[in-house]
Amino acid sequence: MKASNWLETHPARAVTVAPDASLPEAAALFLEHPEVRDIYVVDEKGRVCGHLGFRRLAGLLLAHLRPTHSRRQLVERVTAGAVREHMDEHVLCMRPDERISEVFHHHMERRVEDIPVVDADRRLLGVIRVADLLRKAIEPAG
Amino acid sequence: MEILLIGVLLLAGLAFGTLGSHYFGVPRVVGYILIGMLFSPDLLGDYLGLDAARWTQPLVAIALGIVAYLIGGAATVGQLRRLGVSIITATVGKVAGAFLLVFAGFVWMGVSVPDLPGWGVPLVLAALATITAPAAIVAIIHQYRARGPLTTALLGMVAMDDALGVVIFSVALALLAADGLVSALPLVVWEIVAALVIGGIGGWLIERISRLLHEHELRLVALIGAIVLLVGLAEAWHFSGLLAAMTLGFTARWFGGVHAERLFEPVEQLEEMVFVLFFTFAGLYFDLSVAVEHGWLILLFFVLRAAGQVIGSWIGARLGGAPPAIANNVGLGMLPQGGVAVGMALMLEGQPRFAEVATLAINIITASTLLTESIGALAARFGLRRAGELNAANGGHDGGHDDEGK
Repeated sequence: MKASNWLETHPARAVTVAPDASLPEAAALFLEHPEVRDIYVVDEKGRVCGHLGFRRLAGLLLAHLRPTHSRRQLVERVTAGAVREHMDEHVLCMRPDERISEVFHHHMERRVEDIPVVDADRRLLGVIRVADLLRKAIEPAG
Repeated sequence: MEILLIGVLLLAGLAFGTLGSHYFGVPRVVGYILIGMLFSPDLLGDYLGLDAARWTQPLVAIALGIVAYLIGGAATVGQLRRLGVSIITATVGKVAGAFLLVFAGFVWMGVSVPDLPGWGVPLVLAALATITAPAAIVAIIHQYRARGPLTTALLGMVAMDDALGVVIFSVALALLAADGLVSALPLVVWEIVAALVIGGIGGWLIERISRLLHEHELRLVALIGAIVLLVGLAEAWHFSGLLAAMTLGFTARWFGGVHAERLFEPVEQLEEMVFVLFFTFAGLYFDLSVAVEHGWLILLFFVLRAAGQVIGSWIGARLGGAPPAIANNVGLGMLPQGGVAVGMALMLEGQPRFAEVATLAINIITASTLLTESIGALAARFGLRRAGELNAANGGHDGGHDDEGK
């Protein structure tokens, strides 16, 4: 099935945040939308420029609960900046005309749970939730 | 036999370290070192016919390359800026203070070995004195739920100061290898510049390659391959492998951006294994007669290093505008010394000319590690208490947002 067809039958709104937002602001968005595990960072023109996952954000904000740190994590802990400092700039997005079966495994390898669908200008059209794909897969036939 | 021994060292070291830590509350490194000592020539080593110097060197070089890569990749330029001036100046002051006081003290005492100029031993020990063990300090901060500006400064400093230590140690080795300050210049320039250039190119390449490798396992192969290749090139072309590996990490992080877990997370998982190897190997080389004979040198090293970094970090922190609560206590929190310093001392064993200074350095650093891991923990706790930061994380919102970085 093509991404555009899936979005018509399973509409899911992507949650977005500005690059200059603080980490607690991003956390508040996650808490506001408990079903969301990935939020997308969009620039002033609405184009996707980054991605922030729930586990990464939780790891940053709860670093003081971790008994051991690598040097990299130590520096992250004491230099917490805005969302842009922690987002993954290499976001794997789908085009509306791409088939889910062709790109799904790439997303799973990157350990992201939602698949963003963007237009030619990288503006978000929607998001394909892996949970919805799973729900569909275990539905009884017919 | 050697492969069998490595397996025994890893497993028995792990068992002794964790059991000792669990039942007696001693740092794990104590167990690692004790297991190594069991296989030293004085005990089982001679009986089993083991010659540690012959087979540990390639492992030490690779393991040190792995740690140097992680040290280099600890921070981005942007993060360094956000760390704040006072943390940077306190780190520089701490490193400079430890280096200068240890160097001056050992020159004054006239400690030397044959085959090296009079400043050789003081230079090696002074370079090793600049290294700190983050794990022990993080454990104390976690255990006592410390939070506040001093905690932030300590966490930032322990993450950064080893990078300066690696540079100082690399230059010191180049100076010693050249045997003379004037004749050393071209060699030092080559050792450093080649390491920076080749490590830098390697960092760029590995970052580009890692984008094509989505699987964690494949990235680990690429990263370890790059580190080993670089260390091997350094050996063949006579530049600093330690500095090259650190530059590899720094540039890989630079090009990979802040979100560069993919370049470091797989390698970070190897760090504890590297330290088990370092400490057990240090135990293998540990010679009780040398330690007893040079007991006063161990004490001197410990006192000079501690005094140097307390004074140096105070001056650095004050120059950077840090409040007295940070300046007066930050040096006390930085006493623990561990794996990286031990690994560097072990590296000296690789060159016959450094054999005597290596034996001395390994014994001093190993014994001083045992001292700093215990006394250092007490000093860090004292400093944090004096700054009013012990149990500060329990102030009504434990588990909430950590505002250290604010």
